[in-house]
Amino acid sequence: MKSRTFWNRSGLILVAFFVFVAIFADLIAPHSPWERFEPYTKPSTKHWLGTNDIGNDILSELIHGSRASLIVGVGASAIATLLGLFIGLISGYFKGFADELLMGVTDIFLMIPRIPLLIILAAFLKSSFWIIMLALGLLWWTSTARVVRSRTLQVREMDFVTSSKCLGFKNRHIILSDILPNIFPVALPKFMLTVATAMISEASLSFLGLGDPSMKSWGLMINFAFIKGGLINEMWWWYLPPGICIVLFVFSIVLLGFSFEEEKKVAIK
Amino acid sequence: MRRHFFYSTLLVVSLSLIASCGGNRRRGGSESVLKIGTTKDGMKSASILGDSYLAQFAQISNPPLMTMTKEGKIEGIIIKSYEISEDNTIWTFYLDNDLYWSDGTQVSAKDVVFSIQLFAEEVPYARWMREILKKVYEKENNAVVFELYKPYARLDFDFLTYNLLPQHIWGKIEDPLRHTYSGVMIGCGPFYISKIDLNAGFILFQKNPFWKSTQPEIERIELHVYNNKDVLALALEKGEVDTYYRYNSSYPYPNLERLEATGNFNFIEEPHLSLKFLGFNLRKTPMSDLAFREAISYAINYEELIKLDLLGYGEIPSRGFLPRVMPNFTETTPLRFEPDKAKYMITRAGYRDSNGNGIREDLSGNDLELSILIHNEFIRLAELVRDYLRTLDIDVSLKVVDTNTWINLKDAYKYDLVISRTSPWGMLMHANWATGYFDSRRTGEGVLHTVEDPAFMKLCDNILTTKDERELEKYAQKVQDYYAKNLPAIALHWKRIVIPYQKKFSGWSPNLLYGIYNIENFIKLRIIRGESFEGSENSGLAKT
Amino acid sequence: MAISKKKILRYLLALFIIFSLNFIIPRIMPGDPLTNLLGEEFSLSEAALQELRSELGLDSPLMLQYIKYWKNIFLFDLGYSYHFNQKVIPLITGRMKWTLVLLLPSIIFGAILGTILGALSGWKKNALPNKTITWTFLTIYSSPPYFLGIILLYIFSFKWGLFPFKGFYETGTLSDIIQHLFLPVLIMSAFSASRNYMIMRGSVLIEKEKLYVVYARAKGLYKEAILFRHIFKNAILPVLTLVALDFGFLFSGALFVEIVFSMNGMGTLIYEALLSRDYPVLQGCFLIITLMVIGANLFSDVLNGIIDPRVRERQ
Repeated sequence: MKSRTFWNRSGLILVAFFVFVAIFADLIAPHSPWERFEPYTKPSTKHWLGTNDIGNDILSELIHGSRASLIVGVGASAIATLLGLFIGLISGYFKGFADELLMGVTDIFLMIPRIPLLIILAAFLKSSFWIIMLALGLLWWTSTARVVRSRTLQVREMDFVTSSKCLGFKNRHIILSDILPNIFPVALPKFMLTVATAMISEASLSFLGLGDPSMKSWGLMINFAFIKGGLINEMWWWYLPPGICIVLFVFSIVLLGFSFEEEKKVAIK
Repeated sequence: MRRHFFYSTLLVVSLSLIASCGGNRRRGGSESVLKIGTTKDGMKSASILGDSYLAQFAQISNPPLMTMTKEGKIEGIIIKSYEISEDNTIWTFYLDNDLYWSDGTQVSAKDVVFSIQLFAEEVPYARWMREILKKVYEKENNAVVFELYKPYARLDFDFLTYNLLPQHIWGKIEDPLRHTYSGVMIGCGPFYISKIDLNAGFILFQKNPFWKSTQPEIERIELHVYNNKDVLALALEKGEVDTYYRYNSSYPYPNLERLEATGNFNFIEEPHLSLKFLGFNLRKTPMSDLAFREAISYAINYEELIKLDLLGYGEIPSRGFLPRVMPNFTETTPLRFEPDKAKYMITRAGYRDSNGNGIREDLSGNDLELSILIHNEFIRLAELVRDYLRTLDIDVSLKVVDTNTWINLKDAYKYDLVISRTSPWGMLMHANWATGYFDSRRTGEGVLHTVEDPAFMKLCDNILTTKDERELEKYAQKVQDYYAKNLPAIALHWKRIVIPYQKKFSGWSPNLLYGIYNIENFIKLRIIRGESFEGSENSGLAKT
Repeated sequence: MAISKKKILRYLLALFIIFSLNFIIPRIMPGDPLTNLLGEEFSLSEAALQELRSELGLDSPLMLQYIKYWKNIFLFDLGYSYHFNQKVIPLITGRMKWTLVLLLPSIIFGAILGTILGALSGWKKNALPNKTITWTFLTIYSSPPYFLGIILLYIFSFKWGLFPFKGFYETGTLSDIIQHLFLPVLIMSAFSASRNYMIMRGSVLIEKEKLYVVYARAKGLYKEAILFRHIFKNAILPVLTLVALDFGFLFSGALFVEIVFSMNGMGTLIYEALLSRDYPVLQGCFLIITLMVIGANLFSDVLNGIIDPRVRERQ
């Protein structure tokens, strides 16, 4: 049992920390991340992590950058998980034609390529972060749907579900009160992992230059650190912290997902 | 025990691989090689007709008819001289009689006629030739005659870019547009292409044994192509290449100090012909309002842009747009940063914040919400400009799209402002002096085509049909005065580019058009022998 | 092994829709292939532009283009690339060859390393080496791929000069190719292994509690024997599905690794074709990826059926 609480606690603490920072960024950050000071300065008492190529305080950028990762990560994942839950439940519960149809749709969505979709959306819509969130969410519900579906298939054969049916409860009621609670242990870790992948995707897209400069993000920070000489000039205080933050934040969410897995396993026992 | 076995195999395999690596990393190589590092950009195939990026690199092996000298004059490389008829409809080019292909065949007018016709027929971006060239044929004395449909005085400028191809080889090729080379490609320049391997990122030029003119000291030029310009910078410092070349680009300014500190490099610093600018969609309000554009021009902090975008390697531009180094440059009023004046002017032009929400309204009463359409290369610059415009209480946002989308939206006039760059060739094309960017009768990837003023177009037409130096000088001044008066675009800075090179080389002659990548440069290049110039691998380790 | 008619129908229908999407999506993107063909600054009259358009087949009505698209699929004729100046099929096979050289070893190493270590880790959860390995893999799993790539390039190629900066090879000898591929393969394997590790570990943890394991112990089998003879087979199912999918997506290449290490594989092919709106290349690539992924899906369904009799029964 020691390991369960360990995963649980560390994951929770870290996640809570990042969420706290993201929400209270304005209060925590020493400066506005958009204010310009002397560029390319080394860490000092005035700027703990120095300044970037146009003079923004890197620490303040770092703190505010948590928001972009959080929004895209959690947002995309929320969309993906809700969609996946919906489709997986219906597919698994009703089986038959609905199942075939929805699984077919899943296969199709699996194949839609990410970047073209982003290019299309970016051209027609206004600001990028919400587009990225939308695009990622719309494409990633597939694996959640599959997992939810297979679990639904299992659960629906269980005795208590059969007894609910015999008692004459409506389908919608059965799905919501009997099946859904049993899906959570499977859906929750999937949600966590999707948040992780979404955050990394956001960082990767910023690297390709498809990021949104209207908001500070860790991915964009790394991108600028590389192309504006941060790497070659060994300004580790510029390119390492955002990278480490991405790794840590993702890490903490995966840990949290892990801890739910552990609980589930204990519950099965 | 299975686990142990597994771990140990892993260890052995990795060790042996690393061991195999040691050793052959540093190749000595012959002394007279020049290794140029460049980026792939749009280079996609080893087809000289089909790939304009490769064609540009092939200019030292398959030269075009004309070149630009170090001083900025247009001259022939493979031609001795050329004449133009009075009415500018007949051009005659006299070929150099002492020019040979790398297989020994002499270069003749037949090759020129063939090459131009091949380009006009096969290559999309040379299709304009079909509309201008009526007839192309040989004449005695190794001459080529171009008869045009209408008077056109700038054919020599256009011929700065089309490679000469050997008719006796290419005449037999079935699908020339798609013909790719991996080995030898016959050339008549001081070098010829001997190997193209894009999977290794490598193009090799060898000295043309039949080059009769001044012999270059270099025997071989290696072009190393990287996918990523920052990895290229690392490779340069490490000594994997001797110099850095990218068309229309400087070596990244933030890396210069460090390169200097290694002690292995010298630097060429030159004013640059092209620049970055803020463009206006003149078909939309309020950009169509000159008073609005004027106010904007006072709100931009040019000093700060030079400091942050160029790290100081530049100067404040003038309203006349064209940089000092442009031939026929005339002085116009410099652009100034006066934020209070900007606020005063924009208020006086009628843009006020009447409802007190912090955003000025346009003349119809709607909040001023403008977007700057950019390609992701300009994000940092655009962030700064956005901030400057915001101090004028205009709601400005950035719209970042990929190049193709940018061109599409720009051509459809679906934008408010753009930030983009010109190119050296772009500054010269059409009627010279950046007119190609503004004349609304033209289209093209990077051009704005926003000026529909008949006076401007008449000016361009005049330039296009005269070769008289004095007249042209007057026209040049008129063009710059037009820019200064009407501000169709605002130059953001005039930059200086810096090219680093290994100290053992000297005698560089960059030109305004292609920088160091020109024939004159490679012929005049000298190598200092004797000292050890192994690159900065030592300094890298010493620093750690 | 009876695959139900319904399933085949479903796959075929999905294929039809996906192939159609492959046609539609490139054409919805703003811009067109012509822009990249015409060079930075050109002057063409509208008439000439139109002429060029029709030569490329860009101006024929969409429906006609669509029909031609299907015809070409059945004739296995993927056409000519607009911008790479080659026929699409040899272009793709050329790139694919190198992508395979890069990714096949990575998938295999990643699968072997990940599943074996993951199984051992799930079996003996609290042993210290397993804990460290878990944290290491977690860290790798949580990093953006390009970040790791550039840092490794910086340390091993730039600082220590052990590996080259670019390309698949320089001289073409075997040791030369290995040298060039070492870092990229290392990175891709690490990512693949870390994902497989997590899933395998979780899988083994679940299987460990099942009754047949207790039975095996009661029978008197030693620990490792139980693990590898009984549990492994069951725990590996979810990993297999993923690895099969990996093979499918193999053909989309590894874009970030290709950019950092200057390699011209499928990843950069697709990306560049995307940016220049090279319809034939895009269609060709997506077609092949679709076929591979659907094929992999089918394969893993079949494999699941073979390995897990319970699945077979349900069918």
